[in-house]
Amino acid sequence: MSIFEYNGSAVVAMVGKNCFAIASDRRLGVQLQTIATDFKRISKIHDRLFIGLSGLATDVQTLYQRLVFRHKLYQLREERDMKPETFASLVSAILYEKRFGPYLCQPVIAGLGEDDKPFICTMDSIGAKELAKDFVVSGTASESLYGACEAMYKPDMEAEELFETISQALLSSVDRDCLSGWGGHVYVVTPNEIKERILKGRMD
Amino acid sequence: MKLDTSGFETSMPTIGFGSSNDMLDGFSTVPSFDLPRTTDFDGFQKEAVQMVKPARGTTTLAFIFKEGVMVAADSRASMGGYISSQSVKKIIEINPYMLGTMAGGAADCQFWHRNLGIKCRLHELANKRRISVSGASKLLANMLYSYRGMGLSVGTMIAGWDETGPGLYYVDNEGGRLKGDRFSVGSGSPYAYGVLDSGYKFDMSVEEASELARRSIYHATFRDGASGGVASVYHVGPNGWKKLSGDDVGELHYHYYPVPPAIAEQVMEEAAAE
Repeated sequence: MSIFEYNGSAVVAMVGKNCFAIASDRRLGVQLQTIATDFKRISKIHDRLFIGLSGLATDVQTLYQRLVFRHKLYQLREERDMKPETFASLVSAILYEKRFGPYLCQPVIAGLGEDDKPFICTMDSIGAKELAKDFVVSGTASESLYGACEAMYKPDMEAEELFETISQALLSSVDRDCLSGWGGHVYVVTPNEIKERILKGRMD
Repeated sequence: MKLDTSGFETSMPTIGFGSSNDMLDGFSTVPSFDLPRTTDFDGFQKEAVQMVKPARGTTTLAFIFKEGVMVAADSRASMGGYISSQSVKKIIEINPYMLGTMAGGAADCQFWHRNLGIKCRLHELANKRRISVSGASKLLANMLYSYRGMGLSVGTMIAGWDETGPGLYYVDNEGGRLKGDRFSVGSGSPYAYGVLDSGYKFDMSVEEASELARRSIYHATFRDGASGGVASVYHVGPNGWKKLSGDDVGELHYHYYPVPPAIAEQVMEEAAAE
């Protein structure tokens, strides 16, 4: 098993009508052994911007701390929050700085930009940005996730329907992966509120 | 089953200089066979065997107690990280009074258990009496020993009831055969052993023993990524085996550890207040 499959992870983000949803699994494992079932992979950068990181758990935590630091500096200098597109470029630059000794994680960035237009993107571990209009996936269950999202996604879904869709896509995909699952964590973000929900999944 | 030794009968390859044959006189009957042309011969062999050898991603267990033998297994088949099936039958019914468990390569286990079933039936017909568990496990162990080193992957337990009472043997592809009271095989076996060993008593009723077996499999599926699906529990008694239960492990979790509903509502209220 490769180093990206050492801890196991699954992250997915989807775009809806003036809203977005980002979801991840909750397992932390060491190869086949499950160590924890409440590992946080998605973190808030500010009220309209979330980042989910899949891959090696130690790099997930360290990279998140670095990004929060950089964003706080930006807030002090510019006296405002970063736009999602700018943040994506920042993440891409930070990852490429370590081109020959990379952070072994794949970020999924989801945010609400100007005019409440949702923005999602994903990157590989050295910063190649992939913008998408519908959904992005990352982690050990990514192939299953692509299939499930492709089948279940519809454009312009409202927040509740988006929550149902992303939850079903996540749960059915991680049920086909030994290394991810053990519950789910979903954030649905609209211009007015952030709804955080924990999913009851198969614990095997 | 006779080992194919035709590979040993090739003639010795000639060495460059043909004249100094007196050196080679004593070696004229050395067996030799075709070798693959590769730079790393030792590594190549190991790699080829390792590629065919699937990791034993599973949890199976069996134990003897007062009322017979309890056999339990999960039902997940995995290929590396991918779950290829959640509904594999890992407890194989060799005949109405003997069960075998499957761990390792699915094809290997299914084939050799069926083969064992055939041999047991032939024994019955030839000797007008049933074969003992000891005899059946020895037949299987000898068959597997003759294929030793060829990359078979079989980690099985033979459980049954014969004239001497309940019998349980562990047989693997190395040709090992162990008699015992409690076994667990597979990547989830350490977790199953933890629960099984701490809860085991010889004097258990069938219900207590089946609950212990089910719980052990459930805990193994929770911790081990390569085990999951359905926990099947079988009991082998004096009249043969009987399937006691097949519970989906996803539902068993919430049965053992129910989620108190109040907490979920709290989370939603807190998030909405942001």
